[in-house]
Amino acid sequence: MAETELTKTVYLDAPRDTVWAFLTEKDKLAKWFHPAAADLAEGEDYALLETDDSGNTVKLCWGTVLKMDRPTNLVWSFTIKPLGGAMTTVTWTLEDSHGGTRLTLRHEGIGMAAGEAPLGLLTALDAGWDAHFADLRKATSA
Amino acid sequence: MAPSVQEGFRALADPTRRQILMHLSMQDMTIGEVAEKFEMTRAAVKKHLVVLEQGKLISVHNMGRERINRLEPLGLKSVADWFNYFSRFWDERLANLKHAIENEKEQKDG
Repeated sequence: MAETELTKTVYLDAPRDTVWAFLTEKDKLAKWFHPAAADLAEGEDYALLETDDSGNTVKLCWGTVLKMDRPTNLVWSFTIKPLGGAMTTVTWTLEDSHGGTRLTLRHEGIGMAAGEAPLGLLTALDAGWDAHFADLRKATSA
Repeated sequence: MAPSVQEGFRALADPTRRQILMHLSMQDMTIGEVAEKFEMTRAAVKKHLVVLEQGKLISVHNMGRERINRLEPLGLKSVADWFNYFSRFWDERLANLKHAIENEKEQKDG
């Protein structure tokens, strides 16, 4: 049986140290994700924030930094507001590749076998993944 | 998000439960019929069916003295939607990340 996980890979034209900074420093997280309350630190809780219409700061994503193995491996527990605190796991892997970085995201615990789903409905969903990956490949090779 | 969606994820995380769903996708079954497909006691099967029912992936119907377990395709769909949701979520974030890194590089180079 396949694991219940989602995997995405993207090639980035920057060394691993730069990519690592974008994944862990609050100012850099703000540039592509959401502003963090602080730089990420191993073993500590983190929160990515948003300012709502009435000016209040609200947590959008949060969890705990489970592992920081600079600059190759970063693991978060991760939830978003709509999941109501149910934790999933996000693992970032950074590899050197052609002068840049191959970044892989693995999101586990979301729910189902994307790889070898037995039911017709799940099989239909798999076709959706293939399309997503094709789009992503196009986007990253552009 | 409805709590049943989280329970749906939990229900689908187990390979035995996915197998049970596969069998139920072909026909409605009693606990005894499900147990025959696996080397498991009725009690163990019952436990899995309860989790599946909590996740709204199956429904249980009384038919005379039997309790029939039936697949609920809509429950499955809402879980599938969640998976799609996260897929789009990360596609967007990763595209943003690529953009942010390229911007920084241009600023340094320029």
